[in-house]
Amino acid sequence: MAILKTLLYILVYPGLIFLFVYSTFCEWFDRKIYARLQNRMGPTHTGRWGILQPVADFIKLLAKEDIVPDLADKRLFTALPVFGIAAVSTAMLLLPVWHYDLSQPSPNSFSGDIIVLLYILTLPTLVFFLAAWSSTSFFSTIGGSRVLTMLFGYEVPLFLAVLSPAIMAGSWRLAEIAAFFQHRPLLILPNLIGFIVSVICLQAKLERTPFDIPHAETEIVGGTFTEYSGKKLALFRLMTDIEMVVGSGLIATVFLGGFPGGIILGFVYFVVKTLFVIFLLTLIRALTSRIRIDQVISFSWRYLAPLAVLQLLVTIVLKGFVR
Amino acid sequence: MRIAAFLPEILRHLFKKPATVDYPFVKLEVPKDFRGTPFLHPELCIVCRACIRDCPAEAIDILTVNEAEKKFKMVIHNDRCIHCAQCVESCPTTPKALEMDHLFETAAFSRWDLKKEWEYAKAQVKPKAAAGAPPPAEAKS
Amino acid sequence: MKFTVPIGPQHPALKEPISLRMTLEGEVIRGVDIRLGYNHRGLEKLAEEKTWLQNIYVTERICGICSHSHATCYTQGVEKLMEVEPPKRGISLRFLVAELERVHSHLLWLGVAGHEAGFDTFFMYTWRDREVVMDILEMISGNRVHYAINTLGGVRRDIDELQKKKILDSLGILRRRSEYYFKIGASEPSFVARIAGVGPLSKADALALCAVGPTARASDIPQDVRKDDPYGVYAEVPFEVATATTCDVLGRVVVRVKELMQSYNIIEFLLKNLPDGPVAVRAPRRAKPNEVVSRYEAPRGENIHYIKSNGSDKPERLKVRAPTLANYPATVVMLKDGYIADIPLIFAAIDPCICCAERTVALVDGRSGQESVVLMSELRRKARERWKKAPPKKDAVWPF
Repeated sequence: MAILKTLLYILVYPGLIFLFVYSTFCEWFDRKIYARLQNRMGPTHTGRWGILQPVADFIKLLAKEDIVPDLADKRLFTALPVFGIAAVSTAMLLLPVWHYDLSQPSPNSFSGDIIVLLYILTLPTLVFFLAAWSSTSFFSTIGGSRVLTMLFGYEVPLFLAVLSPAIMAGSWRLAEIAAFFQHRPLLILPNLIGFIVSVICLQAKLERTPFDIPHAETEIVGGTFTEYSGKKLALFRLMTDIEMVVGSGLIATVFLGGFPGGIILGFVYFVVKTLFVIFLLTLIRALTSRIRIDQVISFSWRYLAPLAVLQLLVTIVLKGFVR
Repeated sequence: MRIAAFLPEILRHLFKKPATVDYPFVKLEVPKDFRGTPFLHPELCIVCRACIRDCPAEAIDILTVNEAEKKFKMVIHNDRCIHCAQCVESCPTTPKALEMDHLFETAAFSRWDLKKEWEYAKAQVKPKAAAGAPPPAEAKS
Repeated sequence: MKFTVPIGPQHPALKEPISLRMTLEGEVIRGVDIRLGYNHRGLEKLAEEKTWLQNIYVTERICGICSHSHATCYTQGVEKLMEVEPPKRGISLRFLVAELERVHSHLLWLGVAGHEAGFDTFFMYTWRDREVVMDILEMISGNRVHYAINTLGGVRRDIDELQKKKILDSLGILRRRSEYYFKIGASEPSFVARIAGVGPLSKADALALCAVGPTARASDIPQDVRKDDPYGVYAEVPFEVATATTCDVLGRVVVRVKELMQSYNIIEFLLKNLPDGPVAVRAPRRAKPNEVVSRYEAPRGENIHYIKSNGSDKPERLKVRAPTLANYPATVVMLKDGYIADIPLIFAAIDPCICCAERTVALVDGRSGQESVVLMSELRRKARERWKKAPPKKDAVWPF
């Protein structure tokens, strides 16, 4: 019985099938809102309101020819997309969805799992770098070096910003942090600076404008993904979408109070809160232009990191008053 | 230098109708002087061959079908036509024998589907070359 | 450690094929080698086989965005050769379309600059407003691109009161939107961070390398053919030459937006003071043996056509010097010591119209890679031998 439940958990919800369906839905949402902000139509004719467009793109890519460059490291080149999908799907298992909350915790929830989640979310960046490195083409190499350079910029503010609500809640366990903010919703407001900083850093982690330097289309043709085609490219794009869902789920858990209320209500909360965070991400994407790699580093260390430290100070001061 | 200077404008666009025209389900009107493809009014043509002389793309041909009965055949090669309407301007008759229609969806699977032909007898009208009262057009077909 | 990277001929940053071989050291550019010729179509040779009237359409198709500038430059020159003076209304209409083309070209460029910088929202908005101009041009001339409104001796179509009113109404919309884009483009911090200080070209360099158009005007050189050598209607129309002092890509953006506003004023002036009368006069079929140089201020800079006639109804020689060709040496200087991330922006800032500039300069043997410069007379001799062996083509024969 427990084995069946675990299999259901891994394959259906919140496992692979749910992730596939929901991440393509989120990509549709992102593309439709982006198009409407620019006074265009967005996907319209594939399925009602174009909802099946990301699925159609995925299937189309699966059917294309899969070329591996001669000089590339073949085993690494082929294994990386699969490894990336595995990494982000595992990260999803740590979020407190399904109907688990503090009274009946999920078997995956343990003290310190927020740190493990942040660590697993670093793996996609490493996958991008190795993908660029194993492609051995000039444009991929530049893309790969830019991926790592950007990692030095946004990783520290992201960690600091995401960990300050954990300090306020007094626990390193995602389910406990979510429960803390569910009982005291007013305490979400002092964390606003951290919320904004973590949304910007999530945009950088997902490599979207203004931080889409590693795969800037007009400069380096595709950066990390220049040499990828066919099934491997389809898996990479799916990995980016799942990363978006997991990242916004993490921010919704830590800052917006998690997903309480059982199976149905919890699922509704999950959808509404993650779509809210994705709406903010799309807004930032439509609002700005791409900045240079040296400007990313100076921006993060001059503005984002001090703001995250400020958030930490506010949290520590408030904790003295709350307890 | 303002942060997010664009924000009110793009949020306003969320509630506006998109500027895209959903072609081919919705079609836009073309203006009345639009240059589509050329076509012939056979009863007005006097076979002066001015259109052939002035066409930059050599897209018009007039062949003699029967010399005695003055029967000719004009072929317009729409795959060579560049839609400049110089043939319409060079035509000296009043009213003009060549005219541009408003068709622009002229894609075909083979270039031989794009040739248009007319067989006709030469019209007995004097060419209208200078400004003045236009003579009555007596066309015999 | 230096290594060479090819940008092009196929690259998403370039709209047309051109090969820029960059020598890089890390992310900094140390040298550029520009190779042209991928878009050569032999238009100058084709022009020698067509009559004066047919050549208007040939020159118009040298480029799509600046099609009217090539057609007008050619028509101006041929009218000089034939000693034909077009009527005032015809000239006003011709330059009305010319200023509308300048508006459409600059709006296009603003969108492309936004896209190269990653600012896609700006790109979509400027191109949406460019549709207003395209619709006006379609209403006047019958086509959105390749207007074909010139003929030898004037223009082919006239505009009536209803069309005039529509143009004036659209001008109001365009003016408001252009001012808004100017405000946004100058104050959006991520966009300004990309274009300020990038691609510097000092005033002395611009003068020495013969830069033309907005590239030169952004380096504080007030050079504009419409003011230096007025042709057509520009001697009577009041306007100012737009310059900027910053000498970088931001300066070029500012110059183009200022030119947009000046074009709106010129269009309004021309519409309000349109003289009455015919729009064209009859032009002869043949031109006396003579040669003429015709200059025109295209949206990208100074366009020069050299036309030589020999008494027949076809030109003896047509030579086109497009403005982008004059800006290539300046690009090499601008790209030096820049970053890779700036390449698309610097290259897009000269508004490259590569198909305009494709006139062969040096021949490279495909098999051996040997470069040589061939004399014009040698090329003509070889071409004449080849054409002697080719089957006979249909000639334009006079019945009268």
